[in-house]
This record gives sequence, C-alpha cells and structure tokens, in this order.
Amino acid sequence: MSATQLSPVDHTPSGKLLPAVEKLLRLRWQIWVNSFRHSKMLKKVLIILGLVTLLGVAVVMFWLSWLLLRFLRSPQPQEYLGIDPTPFIQTVPVLIFAGLFLGILIASFGVLLQALYLSGDMDFLLSSPVPIRAVFVTKLLQAVLPNFGLVVLFGLPVLFGLGAAGGYNLLYYPLVLVTMVAMTLAAAGLSALLVMLVVRVMPPRRAAEILGFFAATFGLICSQMGNIYNAFGRNADISQEQVSGSLSTLMRFNVPWMPLNWAGRGLIALGEGDWVTGSLLVMLNLGLSALIFGFALVTAERWYYSGWARMQVIARKKKPARAVRQVSAVEGKPVIWARLLPAPIWGIVWKDFLVLRRDLRVLSQLITPLIFGVIYSLMILRTGGEPPGGRGEAPVWFMNTFRSVLSYGSLSMALLVGWMLLSRLAGMGFSAEGKNYWMLKASPVRTTYLLTAKFMVAYFPSLLLGIIFLLGISLFQGFSPSGFLYNLLAVVVSLGGMTGILLGFGVAGANFNWEDPRRMNAGSLGCLGQIISMLYIPFAFAAFIGPLMLSSALNLPQGFAYLAGLVLGAVVSGVCAFLPLWLVRGKVARLDEA
Amino acid sequence: MPEPATLIETRNLVKKYGDKLAVNDVSFEVNGGEIFGFLGPNGAGKTTTIKVIVGLLQPTSGTVKVDGHDIQAQPLQAKAASGYVPDTPNLYAKLTGRELLRFVGDLYNVEREQVARRIDELLRILDLTAAGDDTIDSYSHGMQQKASLAAALMHDPKVLVLDEPTVGLDPKSARLIKDILRQMAERGSAVFLSTHILEIAERMCDRIGIINQGRLIAVGSMDELRGLDKTAEAGETSLEDIFLSLTGGVEVAEIAEILK
Repeated sequence: MSATQLSPVDHTPSGKLLPAVEKLLRLRWQIWVNSFRHSKMLKKVLIILGLVTLLGVAVVMFWLSWLLLRFLRSPQPQEYLGIDPTPFIQTVPVLIFAGLFLGILIASFGVLLQALYLSGDMDFLLSSPVPIRAVFVTKLLQAVLPNFGLVVLFGLPVLFGLGAAGGYNLLYYPLVLVTMVAMTLAAAGLSALLVMLVVRVMPPRRAAEILGFFAATFGLICSQMGNIYNAFGRNADISQEQVSGSLSTLMRFNVPWMPLNWAGRGLIALGEGDWVTGSLLVMLNLGLSALIFGFALVTAERWYYSGWARMQVIARKKKPARAVRQVSAVEGKPVIWARLLPAPIWGIVWKDFLVLRRDLRVLSQLITPLIFGVIYSLMILRTGGEPPGGRGEAPVWFMNTFRSVLSYGSLSMALLVGWMLLSRLAGMGFSAEGKNYWMLKASPVRTTYLLTAKFMVAYFPSLLLGIIFLLGISLFQGFSPSGFLYNLLAVVVSLGGMTGILLGFGVAGANFNWEDPRRMNAGSLGCLGQIISMLYIPFAFAAFIGPLMLSSALNLPQGFAYLAGLVLGAVVSGVCAFLPLWLVRGKVARLDEA
Repeated sequence: MPEPATLIETRNLVKKYGDKLAVNDVSFEVNGGEIFGFLGPNGAGKTTTIKVIVGLLQPTSGTVKVDGHDIQAQPLQAKAASGYVPDTPNLYAKLTGRELLRFVGDLYNVEREQVARRIDELLRILDLTAAGDDTIDSYSHGMQQKASLAAALMHDPKVLVLDEPTVGLDPKSARLIKDILRQMAERGSAVFLSTHILEIAERMCDRIGIINQGRLIAVGSMDELRGLDKTAEAGETSLEDIFLSLTGGVEVAEIAEILK
C-alpha cells in the first residue's frame, strides 16, 4: 500500500437513542473542556472563582432558609406578627416547583429556539446517521441545563432547608431532586413543542427577533418596576396589611386540584410521614411529567425534522405585498434631500434607517431611552419643580440651586434621552455595519462623507426624541415660548457635541465581528466614549444654564445671559462635535484591517 | 490597433500580518480586455492580494495601481474604477435586492436617472427579478452570490475583481457568470478572478497567475505555463498538472487517483 493510500473503514451505525445521546453530550463536554483549556489564565481563574462563589451562595442559602424556616415554625411569629405562618411554609415548596415549571417553560423557549433551529451544527448533525430523537434530546438538555442549574442553585437549598427545619424523613431529599429533574424535563419538552409549533408558522430567525424585542422590553420594564411604581405616585413602603394580603394571595394558589401543586404538596406530605397522600401525589406528578416528556419526544421525531426541512422553504417564500411597499418607500425618497446631499451620504443614511427599522433586535435596543425617558419624566413632573426635602439639613443656597436646576428638567431630560439613544446610534454607528463593512470600504466614499452620514443617522433621531420630551415636559410644566426656544437651541447644539464624542469613540473602538446585533459592542473605547459623553451632559447643561442662573443671582440683564449661554454652549458643543471626528478621520480608512 | 491599457498593476507587493508574511514581493499586470485567473493552494495569499487590490487592506510595502490610480495615494479614483465580489457574500440582510443595488448606485454616484434602468437590467440578466423585492436574508447562497455580482456591476466598472465567484452556484448560474465576465472583457474591462476550479481557469482565462506561500511563482498564458513545466509533454499538459507540479502537490494527485 502507498504511504498516501487510505485504508478501508467498517462502520455500522447503531441508531440507538441512549448511546447517540451519550456521544453527543460527550462532544459538548469535550468542546467545553477544550474552550476552557485554551482560554486565558484570567478567564480560567474567573470561571473557577465563579463556581466556588455559586457553591458558597448555595450553602449560605441553605443555612439562611434553615434559620428562617425554623424561626417561622417557632411560636414567636404568631406572637409578634399575629400571623400563623404554617400554611405559608407549606406553600413554599408548591410555589418553588410551580415557579420552576413555569420559569423553565418560558425561559427555555428562546434558548431552545436557538439550539434547535439556529445553531451552526444542525446541518452536520442531521446529515449524520444519528437518530433525530437523540439530536433533539441533546439539544434540549444543552439548552435547559443552565436554567436548571439556576433553579437548583436557588431552589434546592430552600427546599433542603425546609426539610432540615421541619425534621422531614430522609426520603424527602432525593425525591426533591428527582421531582426537580422530572418537572424540568417536562417543562422543557413542552417548551420545545411550542418552539416547533411556532417554527411551523414563522421563520425561526424572525421568531427569535420578535422574542428578543419583547424579552428586552419586558426585562427593561421589570427592572424599572420600582421607578414605575414611584412615577405613578404609589408609596413604595410596604405595610403589614400589604404583607398579609400578599401572603394570602400566594396561599390561595396552593389548591389540591392543580397538577402544578402536586409535587410540592406530595413532598411535604411524604416529609411529614403522610405516606399515602404523599406517594400518590408524587407518583402522579412523576407520571404526568414522564407523559409530557414522552409526548414531546415522540412528537419531536416527526415535527422537528419536518420543521427543519420546512425552514429552508419558508426562508425563500415570496412576500409580494410587503415588497411593493418597500420599493415605493425607496423610490419615493424626498427629492429635496436627495438634491441637497451628495448621493453617497444620502445612500448611507437611507440604508441605515431601513436596516434599523427592519431589524427588531436593533429596535429592542432603541426602545430603552423611550422607556427610561417616560419614567423619569413622570418622576420629574410628580415633584412639581420642588426638590425632595430630605432631613432638611441642606443649606438654603443648595436647595435654591437644586430648585433652579429642576426648573430646567425638560432640558436635562431631553439631553438624557438623547444621550441614551446616541450611545447606541453614534457609539455603535460603525460597529453596526458588521461584516457588511467591506461594501463601504471598497466603495469610493470619502471619509468625510462616511462620517457625515453616520453623524446624521445618529443625530437626527436623537434630536427628534429629545425635542419630543422637551416639548412634552415643557407643556406640563408651564410653557414659556422664550424659555422653550432657548432650551430647544440648547438641545440642538448640545446633542451635536454628544454625537461627535460618541461617534469618535465608536470609530476608535469599532468591532465588525458579530452575528447578533445585541452582542455588538464598541469595545472598551466605546465604553470610555459613553462615560465621557455622560460627563459632557452636565458641562453642556452648565454652559447653557449657568449664565442664566448667574444673571438671576447677580441681577444682570437676562438678554445678556441668554446670549452668553448660547455662545458658551455653542463653543463647548462645537468643539466636542468636531474635535473627536477630526482626530479619528485617519483611522476610518484603516478600519476592519487585522 | 491601440495597445490595451494596463488596468491592474502590482509592483513588489508585500503584506504582513504581524510576523506572518502573507504576500511576498508580488508583481503582475492585468490589461483591459483580459480575464486573469489567480490560482493557488489554500492559504497561499490569493484573498489577501485581492483585498489589497480593492482597497480593503493596506499593503505593508509595494504599490497597487487600478486604472492608473495608486490605491493608497488616490483610493477614491481607484475604487471608483473597480467592482469587487468577495468569496463570502456578506450583504445587508435587511435590504431587498433592489434596495441594495440602489444603495450601491448612490455609493458610486451613478446618475440618478440611470439607477432604476440599471437595476432592472441587472436583476433581469441575473435572474433575480422575482426576488428583487425580497429582503436578502431570504436569498439562497447562490442568489446572494448573484446579488453580490450585481452590486459589483452596478457602476459598470473598468476592473472587476472576483474571489471564488462560482463557489456554491448551480451550473446555469455559473455559466451565466462566465458569460458576463467574457462580455465584460470583450468590452475592454479587466477581469481578475481567483478560483480553485482549474477547469474554469483553463477555459476562461487569457492569462493565469499561480501564487504559492505568498510568492507569485508563475504568470502567463496556458502555452507559456506549459513551457514552465519541464516534466510535461508538449501540448498535452493540463492546467491541473502544471498547477500540481508548480505548487508541489503531486502527492495530492495520487490521493485523487486512488479515490477515483
């Protein structure tokens, strides 16, 4: 045989589920180990530290739960609070298991959509002689494990703490873990079925975009719940009545006929030695979980492959109705703009607006300033121009200055929302081009044109948003035409300066290597740009408002103060708008070169 | 008959990535009306050379002229003369084919009155009219490749640079692209293409350059290249034999023979 001749190979694919799942999981593990091995030392240390911290958190949670539940089981709470906590304690496992099921069901949807339909290894796996069911199970486990890990980290110590505090028998502990695994698999199976259903009516990429948009908006609203509560004038302090009201609402959930509650109720019964009720409920729960998971597995065999195959067809489906609208939108571009601007600038501006509007993943990033803006505007309007009194220890001059600043709340809010939007539009204006940047780089577009186009794409939407907030708050606060005009000029000029800073840093830290726009960033230089532009806000504010406050303190003519403010603000903003771009102009030509 | 103009000219071109020498002292010329094939094994420096020619990378040393304009000294004029089709068609996924071409028309300052006509013409010739109003993320790889070619042809370039233009295309589309390239050359443009498909290079290209480990080891017409291969019998050597002989890939040919 020649040195280059290949020897024949015998192969008999088994087609069995478990060995195939084991092989695919081993592959995942190998990939993880390899990436860990080849990562930098700092990252390795951080991963190990993270794991140790998580273990520590679990131990602390177990200890705290044990202490708290022991306290709740003692007579003291009833004596001091007048509440009998026993029914609530019995509701804790019910709530944890129900939360686990619903949490995994919802949280797994996006991860499963990504793992089942959008991961890069699907072509390879589906063309290999591996049972489709094995691919499905592996993807399911791979997607669900992180969520399951979180649930175990926070739920298991509480449930074990409950057992330890209540002196439950030993069978309780392993059964808690088994039930958790069973319910996780059932929830994930159900979530996977939902994913497969959605993919039958909509391309997975579009589904991921829509999901990303709603998840980001929902997450942002949740993170601001405290502020929303304040903005709508509710008192954030919680009374004893509210506590007992919330507890009774939670306890009302603990009804025996609801299958979600069988696991928690059964485990408590088993732990307390009620063998008949406990065994029945736990067995019912495990049986139902197995049934759901089994159904998902069988259905997946038919739906998964057909969904995958169908996905290729959906991707090529024609959309004539939408197309007509798109064409007219492009051809109907305002002639005056097209004539005023050089064609390359107009082309880039138009292209960027089309892309921003059509990619929901990008839109989810752009909605942030709107939500923050509405919440903080409501908070400003609620104060009625009066600063919070605090303990009354602040000096009078401080309170007066604070009051004057608040009277310009509309201006500061316009600058704040403008900054938030600019952080994305200007800070990542170049990074947003991603792997398509070659088109701009290979074309004969001047650096000044490119910078001008990116400046316009970032500046005008931010200016529009800023003006809307300025107008809205001014109307509510009491409209003065001269004051509004001055604030309007301040917004127009200040946002120009901010755009220059953010765009300059965006060029310096441009990163074109990303797949998902939500993972796009402008690197550490982009972060620095955000910090510097945030520091610029009070400077710009002071440049415009400082002379006005000074004139009223020193009784100088107000017209002079307005003029001084405008000149000072325009100089500060002008320097910030042009200097950063002038400094990075040479770098633009070399962007995206290794 | 006037001498055809030199539309691509590289002189002592060197490109380094850190310590790694990707392109080493490469010099060649491509004239108008000529299809120039650029061949080489994987990692030989083909794509790097192409990226320097179209202005995506700056050379470490040496010069590149496109239509007589130095790509470093007069980048706008050089880029305006060339069209580029990359190996991976990364196009704006959320634009429709028609919108993409309009955008490219704006970038190259194509007369507004001519843009719509040119778009219709390109979409029709490349069999993309039906998909012209669909967003590019719904295109197959082959359709994206054709959209990329349409974008490169939008401004009727004097120099067309293509990196593996026929990869992933069905025979009909591949033939269509070959016909378009031939027409471009007949109209006086210079076509510079890299390919792994030696048959295409042999049939289509007027001259061929072979690059190996960053060095241009042979340039010439098929007859001239046959002359370089001393082991070959006159008139019978294929481009594959020449390529393998020059790039030291004879053992690869043995494997191919075994697997036949």
